[in-house]
Parts: sequence; structure tokens; C-alpha cells
Amino acid sequence: MPRPFQCFLAILPLAVSLPAKEAGHWAFAPLEKPSSHCGIDGFVLQKLEGAGLGFSRKESPGRLLRRVYLDVIGIPPSLEERAAWLADPSDANYEKVVDSLLARPQYGERWGRHWLDLARYADTNGLHQDSDRPNAWRYRDYVINSFNEDKPYAQFIREQIAGDELDSDKAENWIATGFCRNGPSNEENVAKNELEAYRLDQMDDVISTISQVFLAQTLACARCHDHKTDPFVQKDYYQLLAVFNTTVPTYVPINENLTLGKPILVPIKQRSKTKLSEGSYARALSDIGLPPKETHILIRGNHMTPGELVGSGIPSSLSHFPAKFKLPVSPAPTTFGRRLALANWIASPGNPLTWRVMANRIWQHHFGKGIVETASDFGNYGDRPSHPELLDWLACELRDNGGHLKPIHKKILLSKTYRQSSAYKREASSIDPTAKLLWRFPPHRMEAEVIRDSILQASGNLNTEAGGPGIKPRVPSEILEQSKRNTWPKVTNENKEHWRRSVYIYIKRQLPMPMLSLFDTPDPSQTCGARFRSTTPTQSLALLNDEFTNEQARHLAKCVLAGTQNTREAVLEAYLRIFSIAPSKDDLEKAISFVDSRKIAQDGKTDSEKLAIADLAVVLFNSSQFVYAD
Amino acid sequence: MQTDRRTFLQSIGAGFGTLAANALLASDGKKPHFAPKADSVIFLFMYGGPSQVDTFDPKPALKEWADKPVPVYKKEDGFFQDETKPTAMPSPWEFKKYGQSGIDISGLLPNISRHADKLCVIRSMHADSNNHGPALNQMNSGFIRPGFPTMGSWLGYGLGNASNDLPGYIVLLDKNGAPVNGTINWSNGFMPARYQGIPFRSQGVPIANLSRPEGISEMDQRARLDFLKEQNEKYAWLHPDDSALQARIEAYELAFRMQSAAPEVTDLSLETDFTRKAYGLDNETTKYFGRNCLLARRLVERGVRFVQIYSGGNTGPSAWDAHKDLFGNHSRQCAQTDLPVATLLSDLESRGLLERTLVIWGGEFGRLPTHQGSKGRDHNPFGFTYWLAGGGIKPGHIHGASDDFGYHAAEDKVHVHDLHATIFHLLGLDHKDLTYAHMGRDYRITDVAGEVVHSLLA
Repeated sequence: MPRPFQCFLAILPLAVSLPAKEAGHWAFAPLEKPSSHCGIDGFVLQKLEGAGLGFSRKESPGRLLRRVYLDVIGIPPSLEERAAWLADPSDANYEKVVDSLLARPQYGERWGRHWLDLARYADTNGLHQDSDRPNAWRYRDYVINSFNEDKPYAQFIREQIAGDELDSDKAENWIATGFCRNGPSNEENVAKNELEAYRLDQMDDVISTISQVFLAQTLACARCHDHKTDPFVQKDYYQLLAVFNTTVPTYVPINENLTLGKPILVPIKQRSKTKLSEGSYARALSDIGLPPKETHILIRGNHMTPGELVGSGIPSSLSHFPAKFKLPVSPAPTTFGRRLALANWIASPGNPLTWRVMANRIWQHHFGKGIVETASDFGNYGDRPSHPELLDWLACELRDNGGHLKPIHKKILLSKTYRQSSAYKREASSIDPTAKLLWRFPPHRMEAEVIRDSILQASGNLNTEAGGPGIKPRVPSEILEQSKRNTWPKVTNENKEHWRRSVYIYIKRQLPMPMLSLFDTPDPSQTCGARFRSTTPTQSLALLNDEFTNEQARHLAKCVLAGTQNTREAVLEAYLRIFSIAPSKDDLEKAISFVDSRKIAQDGKTDSEKLAIADLAVVLFNSSQFVYAD
Repeated sequence: MQTDRRTFLQSIGAGFGTLAANALLASDGKKPHFAPKADSVIFLFMYGGPSQVDTFDPKPALKEWADKPVPVYKKEDGFFQDETKPTAMPSPWEFKKYGQSGIDISGLLPNISRHADKLCVIRSMHADSNNHGPALNQMNSGFIRPGFPTMGSWLGYGLGNASNDLPGYIVLLDKNGAPVNGTINWSNGFMPARYQGIPFRSQGVPIANLSRPEGISEMDQRARLDFLKEQNEKYAWLHPDDSALQARIEAYELAFRMQSAAPEVTDLSLETDFTRKAYGLDNETTKYFGRNCLLARRLVERGVRFVQIYSGGNTGPSAWDAHKDLFGNHSRQCAQTDLPVATLLSDLESRGLLERTLVIWGGEFGRLPTHQGSKGRDHNPFGFTYWLAGGGIKPGHIHGASDDFGYHAAEDKVHVHDLHATIFHLLGLDHKDLTYAHMGRDYRITDVAGEVVHSLLA
């Protein structure tokens, strides 16, 4: 018999205290807006002054522009945009820049990608044959569109947990429930005697993801036993299971005129692959018309040892929240409305966790780390907030202003905290080495997607076409050959089709795009609340030697040479395209001398100048200054 | 306290800590928990599931019960429940006792038989899934589900890398490509990307992007790297508090060294004709697996911590997954691997490497002793065989026993978690102390179970 998924805790002292058992745990406390005269900056400055520190000087206009572009849309500014900004780097114009960036469709592509990490989004099943999910991209586009529309967060939550119960006539709502189906699955060959264990693992994926993503609680720890450090008992887990227990994978055909077909429910079987995979449909989750299933606590998480019968509900330690879990009253036994009840409880203004968690995630992506660094764990094992009042203030701003993200972004982007210099200061660093108190804007390595998209932007090749099925750029043949079972096309020459933004790259769980996974795009087996920023020699090899970097460098060289009169101008333009910041005189001289030396080395070749500039571009693409946002 | 510890671990992982500057080099300052018996592991992974009753676990009862239903059979045990039958299928191969230890080995493995006195055969292995994907996950990571770090990642995390110019975790695939799960089989799971396994090819360019781009000479590359170093040193100087910037500089230097070290290690023409022949490189059948075995020896010689070699790739028919034709399948798989594995053992021994290298042989599960169809055997996670040899292992020893039919592990059972615990023990790590904080709890490769099997140790 398969052993159920288990967990353990080894290093906690035996006499561990469990303050969260009291309602006093910081994350469970009622959410009230702290008073502030100066918004964000007031809270940050208060902490800084407490440590004998202050803000750094204002960031230089060039660097600030690059920072805000990379942060909000994930693409550096064009030369024209840069020139226009430098002509008027006033506060008023900065606000205009911020507004225009937040209004661009690229904003949703950038910030939607953060959500896709949480949603463990991928385009294949992951297990066994790693079969394609030809309609998974509809969920990805739904997320991007939701960010672009600035959809109220509460609605975004409801749609993803219970869109079908909210309004089953809207295709978007069905597509949204794909959130519950993004985890790895096996439609071809679950072992017969493991079917129930497999089904419960699928449910666990949903419970674990929902509790971490929306509540930053690791409730899945309570599947086999009471949670060791947080106030959740096994019953809490199974009450949530009861909410989902009847649901099954569901496919809703989307007809040509965008009307919906009849939902097709596919219970988990040894082979549950549907013929539908050919057509257009929403990958959804539902339990329409299915008889309610009893849910028992499973002793040690094992379905062979059922215990007490439980109904749907929320963890008892959270029952003091003003938000209440209300099931619809119905004369006949029904499962309808259970998920909506859960979604409403999560999305309620009376759920302090929800708003704190999301406010923290927004901050996290602007500054590289959260006010609570363990962004998906607000429990006792997670971090404490570095600025608790600031977090609550942001959470209230989010909650009390319709749940719109864009106004929060704007407040952060306009703050002094965000616009200060990223320069190192020895004295400040000796007091606060990790800059947790934000005496400077903290530099951090950019995500894989931003690195790739920035290269394409610099070379002039970025194709900004949005949406639709994922693209499959070139994967080195050495890697393709290892994966004969995988069906990634052999791409000899990339073209515009492949040079779309990285968020549109097809995510194959058993063959992640090497250029991205080497730079820490998460394994979509589980939800990911914060990416690593690791450094490896294989990363260096890819960025230095892969045909992608070298090809884009040659494109860049060609463009640059076509528009300039001499080497000096060409080098300056290459530098600006790549770094968005003008070189110092010394940097420029060094770059020119490098290009000159490369020209000599390439002597005799007709395009020696182009190759020399391309060499420079490859070096700059690999430089820390390029891969860091600062 | 807890937060400090976690922050500390993450700082190592994320390359932000004070150790990060050295993070890519040598042993990263990491130390085992106690004196290790082995420094490296070569895991010979027989993907698909080799049959124990046809290799290392003779069952005369299968002859007596031939074509009769065996009492231990349950229909639900089969993966292909409609094809698998309750009737015993005797092994088509004869067993003999070999060496002074008298270990039983079938006629399928004449060359490995010569090394019987080196082997420690575990006849009582058991695992939790009878499906390839989850079972591979469990053998590699301890967990049925994907998303967890694999053995080589854990060892890199616990012990660091002992090689200065090669990755510490290398995977050598079958000519038919990766097994099911693909890259998930050597995934770093929730650990940072630096703990990922790196697939090496035994011919041509060993790893992706190792070669310089077309038209770029070594001098060109050095010129690029020198200018890059200048750029990166300047940026690191501007931000002296971020040790990851120092690590980036080191990473490019290591990458440059790998560009010569990796082709050197995979250049098997540097070996003598005698050696290459001994590994079967002169023979169509044995040459592919032989190359990987020879490469594995060259890798551990250079300090690589964990090398995994797969026999079998892609789906069942090109692996040990003998559903339809046990005789044909196992004859083929054994013909490909028997000689190279035997030579690997003697080569390691003669070079003094076997003492400090742990060699592991086995699959994700075994096979049922009953018929599937008329000539095949279905999956069996309930009882199967592994053998270990080398670093710290009791040689010429049989541990545990399966039942009369070789169906279930029966005596001194060894679960996958116990195997992992024992492997880690040999490398100087207490599996219960090697933990990694992730999403609210501390994980280890053995989940909540696993005991070191002391009777396997020398």
C-alpha cells in the first residue's frame, strides 16, 4: 500500500512554544489601518531612524527609469523612451511614466508571471508521458488579462476557486478554476490499486496550494497529524478536503462563437485522458450533478484508515475572524456552493490573512523580497514582518480601495523608499547588512524571463504579440536528444515567432526551457512563493555560449552599426541599449578599446566590426550590471 | 532560533551568505556529520524494474508451482491487472553459487558473477508504488510525488562538491534517452538550481552549451571573459555586501575551466585499448553502457560526488520493463550491462577507488514471479533485490529474504527510505539531521521514516 505523503519536523526543540495557538499570532490579529502621515515613507523612515539610519539620496534619473521599467513591465526602456524621460525627469513626469507603464499590456505579462509561479502553471501533465495540456494557456492568458484589467483581488480569488459556482455562463470563470487543476497529473496510467491515493494527492495539491497562496499557511502539514508548529488540527485539513472532495476534472467546450458547451466531468480513472484534448475548452474543476461524497479524517493520512466524519469548514483557529464561512441553505443534500463559501470566506474584507499576504507579495516583487520574507508562510515557522505597521497599512489600502492592485503599485513606485539610490554605503551596511530596513533600494538579480526579454529588447527583436498557445524556442540539441520521449521541435533557426516574451514559452514539466530553468524559474510541481537567485557555472555557460545570446548580440551589432557613424557612437549605442544607462567616460573608453582589440583579432573578416560589437554585446549581456535590477 | 537557522540555511542555498564566494568551489566548507566510509557514489539504475527471481534471488518453488496459482497472489497487485495471472512462472535461467561467499547469481550475469565476493545483496527491498513514474520519484527523491530534491542534490547540499572543475552531480543516460519523468529524475526540487543534476553525454559535446559558439576561438573566448571579469569585478566592488556577485565571477571561471575539463574527462580515447575493450567499447551491444561505466570511473577519479547511470530509457520496451517477453528483454538488458558493470567493479578495485566508492545496482522496483500474458512479468514493489558494493559495504553478504516465491520481502525488510538512510550514513551523513527548510517544515530525503541498516555495513 502506498504510504501517504508525510511530513516531519526534526529540529524544533521539544518544548517549542506555540504562540499561534493564541489568537495573538501577528498574522491572525485583526487588520486595522495604522495611522500614517507620510504613507509608506513614514513607516520606513521610522524604522531607519530607530537604527540611526536615513534614506539614501534620490536615484539618478537613468537608473530609476530602468528600475521602474524592469519592475513594472519587465522590459528595459527603448532609447526614445529614455531620451524623452531624460529631457524631463521631473516628479510630475515620473508619475506620468508610472501611469503609462501600469496601463501597458506588458504589465499583466510581468505581474501575471509572478502569479503563475504561485499557481504552479505548466502546459503539460508532468507525470508519466508528460502529455500536453493544449488548452492550459487559456488560464495563463486569464491571469495576464486579470492583472491588466486590475480586477479586484476578491473577484480574482472567487473566480479561481469557484468560478463555475459564481456564474457558469462565463467562459472566463470556468477557465479561472484551472487554478485548481494546474498541478501535475497523470491521465494515462495510474496504478489501479493507487487510484484513491492518487486522487487524494490531487486534492492535497489543491488544498496545499490554496492555503499557501491565499493565506500563507502550510495547512497541508495537517494531512497526517496535527500541525506541529501552527494551530491546525487534522480536522481542519479534512474540513477543507470536504469542500473539494466531490470535485473532478472538468472540460467545458468553448465553441467558435465563444458560447460554452456542456461541461464534461471526467472522474479519476486508470486512464482518464479525454478525446477533448483536440478541441477548444476550458480546463476546469467542478462537481455539478455529482452525489456528495462523505469526507472522513484519515488517520495518519491513510485512506485505508478512515476516522471521524467531517463536514466542510475552515480551520477553527481562524474562526474568530470577522469573515464567516457560510454554506448555502439547501433542502436537498448538495455540494453546490461549498467552494464559493470558501472563496467568499477567503476574499472577505474580514479575513486579515488574505490582505496581508497579497500586500506582502506586491511589496516583495517591487523590492526583491517581502516585508515577510517567507511570502507563502506566515506561520510560526515563517519569518516575522520587518515592518508590521507598513504591512498592515498596505493591506488596508488594498482591502479598502476595491482590492485593486494598480493604486498600490503606484503608491509604492512614487515613494521615496522606492526612488532612493541603490548605492552601497559602508556605514549603513555595517548597521543593517542586508538592507532589510531599506536604507537603499536593494539591488537584486532579475528573473530568468526578464533577462531573456531584455536581451530581445536590446537587440531590437522582441515580438510583443500577446496571448495564445505557448511557443517553443530552440533548445540545445544535446538536451533535446536526452529527451527522446519529449516532443519539442528541433529549431535550427529562430525567428520572430520564437522571440516573443518568455511568459509565452511553453512550459513542459519534463523538459523545462534550459535558459529559464538555469536562472531559477520554479519547478511547477508545487506552488512557489519566492524564487531562488542561484549562481551556477552552467548558467554562465548558457548565457555565454548559447546561440540565443550570440545571435541576438549579432542582431544588435547590425542595428547599431546601421544607425551610427563610427565605432565610438556604435559602442555608446550598444551600451545604452543593453544597460539603459550612459557609460562613464572611463567605461566608454574601455569598451571602445575592447571593441578595437576584437576588430584586430577578427582582422581580415569582412564583418570584423560587427563581430567585435557583437563580442561586446555578449560580454555586457553576461555582466552583473545587466542581470541585476538596481 | 528557528528563524536564524532557516535564514542561515537559505543563505547558503541562495548564494547570499558569507560562504557564497566559495560556494562553487571545493567542498564549500561543508563537512559530513561523521567520518564517511565512501566519498562518491555510482548508482547503476536499472530503469524499468529488473526481475529479482531471474537475477539474484533464486526461487526453486517457482518450478514446483510452475503454471499453478501461487497462494500469495492478489489480483490488485498487478499493474496490468487484466493480463497478470496468478500462476508461477519459473525463471528460464539457472542459478549457481559464486565465490567464497556462495552468492547465488543467474546465468544472465556471467561477468558480474565473478565479483560475487564484492557484493552485498539485499533480497528484501520494498517500495511504495507499482508505477514507473512515482516509483522512480521515490527511488531518486524519497517521495512519490515530483517536486523534491533527488539524492545527488541532497549530497551536494550536505557535502558540497569535491571537484574544482566539474559539477558534483552527473547523470549518464541510456542511448534511448531519459526515463519517464525526464529531468524530474535529477531535479533539485525545492533547492536552488545549483544542486541540479547535470546530464553528461559520453560522446560528442558532454553538456549543453559547453562548446564555444561557432567561430569563437579559445583566445576569443578568453578575451571576452577577461573583459567580462573586469565588468563584474567593478560591479562587485560597487556592491561589496553582495557575495553573490563574487560567486558570479567564480562561476564564469569555473565555466571556463569546465570547457576544458569536461571534454577531457569524456575523452575516452585517452584510455588504453585494453581498458576500452575491457568495458566492451569494441562491441555494439556493450559499448554504450560501457562508455558510461568508464566515464563514471573517470568522473569519480576526479572527485565527482554522485554519478547515476541509467540502463534503459524512454518507455518500458527500451528498458527493463519485461511485460511481454521476459526472456528477450532481460537477455538484451543483461547483455548490454553485465560486462561493463563487472569491469567497472574490477577497474575501481585495481585503482584503489572501490574502497571509497559506493556502487549501487537496482531499479525502481522488481517483478512479480507470476505470469503476465504467457511470457512476461508485471511490476513488483513488494519485494525486490538491490546490491551494493565498495565503500563501507560488507562484501560477499546476503541480507534479508523474500518469501518462497520471491513475491514479498519477508525477512529483514529494507524500505527505500532505509536504503537512502544507509547510503547517506556511508557518506558520513545522518539522514535525520540533513534537513532543508521549505514551506513551513524541515524536509529530509527519508521523509518521516528510514533506519540505517547496520548489518549491510562492513
